Amino acid sequence: MKLLHRTAVTLAMLGAGSALAQPQPEQPAPDQPATPAATVRVFGRVIDALGRPVRNATIRIEGQPDAKPIRTGRDGTFSIDAPIGATLVVEQKAFGVGLATVTGASVDDIVLLTESQLGETIEIDSEAPAVAPGAAQLDRKELQRIPGTGGDIVKALTAMPGVVNLQIPLGYSGVVIRGSSPQDSKVLIDDFEVPVLFHNVGFRAVTPAETIQSLDYIPGGFDVGYGRASSGIVSLTTRPGDEKRSAQAEISVIDGGLLAQGSIGAKTRYMAALRRSTIDFVLPSIIPDSVDLSLTTVPRYWDEQLRIDHEINKKWNLTISNVGTDDIFELYATKDEDAATKRFFNRTRFARLTAAARYKDGPWNAKLALSGLLQQFVFEAGLYQRIEVITPMVTPRADFTHTSEKAGGLTNVQWRFGGELQAGRAAVDIALPIEQREGETMAAYDPKDVSTKFNGNIWIADFTSWGSVSANLDRRIRGTVGVRTDYYGRGEELVVQPRGELKVQLTKPWQLRLAAGAYSRPPQYQSEFLQEGVQAEKSKQVIFGGQYEPRDGARVQASVYYTDRTDLITHNMDNSLGNNGRGTTTGAELLATYRGGPWFAWLSYSYSHSTRVDAPGAERRLFSFDQPHSANAAVSWQKGRWQLGGRFQLYSGLPYTPVMGSVFDNDRNLYIPLYADVNSERAPIHHQLDLRIDYSWKWGPTALTAFLDVQNVYLNESVVTYFYSYDFSQRIAFKSLPLIPSIGIRGVL
Amino acid sequence: MRAALIGLVALSACTGDVDEQWQLDHDRIIAVRATPPGILPGETSVLDGLYGSKGGRPVELAPQLAAVVSPERFQTALRRESGQWIVTAPDAAALAGARVELGLAADAPVPLQIGVSYADQTLLGVKTVYLGVSRQNPVLEDMLIDGAAPPQAEIVVPQLTDVPLSVKADEADIVNWLTSCGTMHDFDLPQAYLRVEKEDPQEGDLAVVLRKADGGIAWRVWPIRVQ
Repeated sequence: MKLLHRTAVTLAMLGAGSALAQPQPEQPAPDQPATPAATVRVFGRVIDALGRPVRNATIRIEGQPDAKPIRTGRDGTFSIDAPIGATLVVEQKAFGVGLATVTGASVDDIVLLTESQLGETIEIDSEAPAVAPGAAQLDRKELQRIPGTGGDIVKALTAMPGVVNLQIPLGYSGVVIRGSSPQDSKVLIDDFEVPVLFHNVGFRAVTPAETIQSLDYIPGGFDVGYGRASSGIVSLTTRPGDEKRSAQAEISVIDGGLLAQGSIGAKTRYMAALRRSTIDFVLPSIIPDSVDLSLTTVPRYWDEQLRIDHEINKKWNLTISNVGTDDIFELYATKDEDAATKRFFNRTRFARLTAAARYKDGPWNAKLALSGLLQQFVFEAGLYQRIEVITPMVTPRADFTHTSEKAGGLTNVQWRFGGELQAGRAAVDIALPIEQREGETMAAYDPKDVSTKFNGNIWIADFTSWGSVSANLDRRIRGTVGVRTDYYGRGEELVVQPRGELKVQLTKPWQLRLAAGAYSRPPQYQSEFLQEGVQAEKSKQVIFGGQYEPRDGARVQASVYYTDRTDLITHNMDNSLGNNGRGTTTGAELLATYRGGPWFAWLSYSYSHSTRVDAPGAERRLFSFDQPHSANAAVSWQKGRWQLGGRFQLYSGLPYTPVMGSVFDNDRNLYIPLYADVNSERAPIHHQLDLRIDYSWKWGPTALTAFLDVQNVYLNESVVTYFYSYDFSQRIAFKSLPLIPSIGIRGVL
Repeated sequence: MRAALIGLVALSACTGDVDEQWQLDHDRIIAVRATPPGILPGETSVLDGLYGSKGGRPVELAPQLAAVVSPERFQTALRRESGQWIVTAPDAAALAGARVELGLAADAPVPLQIGVSYADQTLLGVKTVYLGVSRQNPVLEDMLIDGAAPPQAEIVVPQLTDVPLSVKADEADIVNWLTSCGTMHDFDLPQAYLRVEKEDPQEGDLAVVLRKADGGIAWRVWPIRVQ
């Protein structure tokens, strides 16, 4: 949930331009000589009518035509030296003129309106700046510019400092942040969790970048509005439809999709998108006849996205959004389609529908949302092993914010409070071997092993509440303290999580932030929810970060962090689950970005060391996703019809547990591996270069863009991990994927 | 489970450079047999195995070493005699004590797990003999190779032809077809087929192993060559 704050502005449209009516400073009496006004460094932000930052707007002081104007950055912010009482004139070619009066070191958000919006009086909400040290945000166009991602969100995430870079995404979310486990981080779409982020085929994100407005990456230290995660948050916001009606289509060798958007009347906008895999049309033809495989249902996927924005009145706005996916495959590891012992079937599908109403009136701001999720996961292997989970769930959520100019001697005081309920029922039918948990070695594959059996319903009722207060302690210091409480019904556990942050604006380009807090994630993965009494995993995080903005469009941010993890869920000796593990992660991250003219550049580096102890007295070991070094350097250049980009990645290999030998179990006809110490070896460093070329042109009324995105252009094949033969006497290196071209074309009508 | 799905996909892409499970030309314990697999108090069972080695033919061989793994109280149930490993089922009272120790029902067979080794202890295996119950090893029935009953001696197959192999088996049985000549398809199904490509070894051995859920086991090995 974004931290919303009210800009407390009312716009009055005056002729051809829009003027921002601000509290006017008291004017000196005409008969008194005016004293020279004090000059202060003024900070502010320029946004559009939907609260989105307006970049590259010029700011100048009225009456100083010769002074060089400054420009807003990518996040719409600016700072300028101006005398108290001066009028700031804000211009951007796509908007009318905006005005603001300097009354102190900061001005309220300045709202620019388009021509079509002139003549109205409206009030605007806006999103707060980055919510934590080390956090970053990418908008849609930037997501699509990063080479080597194929314009895909999952792959773009790997450019973020702190995200473990994997050859293929693993786990439920597909993203591992700060070296812990995939389950420890949450992926949200429009503020609510989604069960999976990527498709099984091609590892594409379940939402194409075209349907995304922005991606917020918060590796840790997030505020009380976020929860159910002990590491980080990835928050995707779907794209509101444009005012102008348009349709677009995109097709590549992996999938193809359609998107339509526009407005209905003056107050309603829509965006609808549908995508289907295309790789399943060619997959059967590229599998050699000699392979013992029957694809009775060729792996394929669908996904859909819908968003409707409607302005009910001046105080209320309504957003309805929907995200859904459907993945399926069925195969036989033989050409005999009657051989039930060799059948594998999977279906993963979900649909999430969210209705969110935003309210704003005076100092009050509220967001009321109701979200429903229906998901199904089915996997069947051979004659004996299967799992089917069907989960309908409903999540009402309310978030309120009140802002006061002054309170208790503090300024710009913002109170926030809210709550959320997650209620649902999981119908579970499971017959599987005992699961493999973090760091545990893989047992021998026994198709008859159904040690974990359950058939029944599990009710889920988790309740959350939060509250925080933020205030300026000083002209340059802002503090936030809050607490989040989660009640996890399955484990009957109440977790209290205090959090706080201190932000210091040193000088114009320098900012320091210190965040600390407690976090938790409920037992909801794998078989965790089958067993009553399992408690939430917890973490305590401390993050210190600095930010330097030497010029508009350029930003360097760095942070160091320490995370202490407790109550990690591990297997007990009797294979039941307990909260016996603990661990720590220390690290540092650097992110430098530049957005200026035709250039977009990105440099990130992260260092991380992540260890854990699985039970009291056990030896400390590396987390399975411990990745000490990860670096990304990307640059993209756009001019005219061309856009060119390159990205270099270098990152450590992941730890793995080598096999020392095996014992043949004659009666089960399988080999029981004998492992060395857990995660005692590490795959080598990997590096690769990715390139991307886009070319755009007009074909009649249609704007076309063709792209070629090539990963690993110099064919560096690094060892990712090892696979062993059936008796573990031989092993084969699973190497990084070779050169992967992604070619496609997009048309917008 | 989702990770397992991905692993399945990844694994299927890179299994070409290690020996397949049907490959006989490989150092391995192919099977271990107890004859009979279930014995009553006072009865005996003899252990032997089918051992394969790279470059050699599969041979029936007693384990070099053997020892009781569990229950520990039955360490003396296993002895070596005249080059053979022999299991003698303890008396009924001892079996009753073992059932209590293992949490088994009063009339349940007691599994005696025996560790075996071959090739100077570089190849290790375990075999279970069931005590307190009488069981017999199965007989390979209704075997067909290229549509006909298998010969007693050498099998000759054509090159570049799918040669069907079949054996009677129940759904819970485990069947393995193995060869060092050609490429085996569906090696773990009762109905498999063998195809010898030009680049495959043109002669070697063909074996079939049938495992029953009750611990019974049967195998057969033939020399095989391309016509």
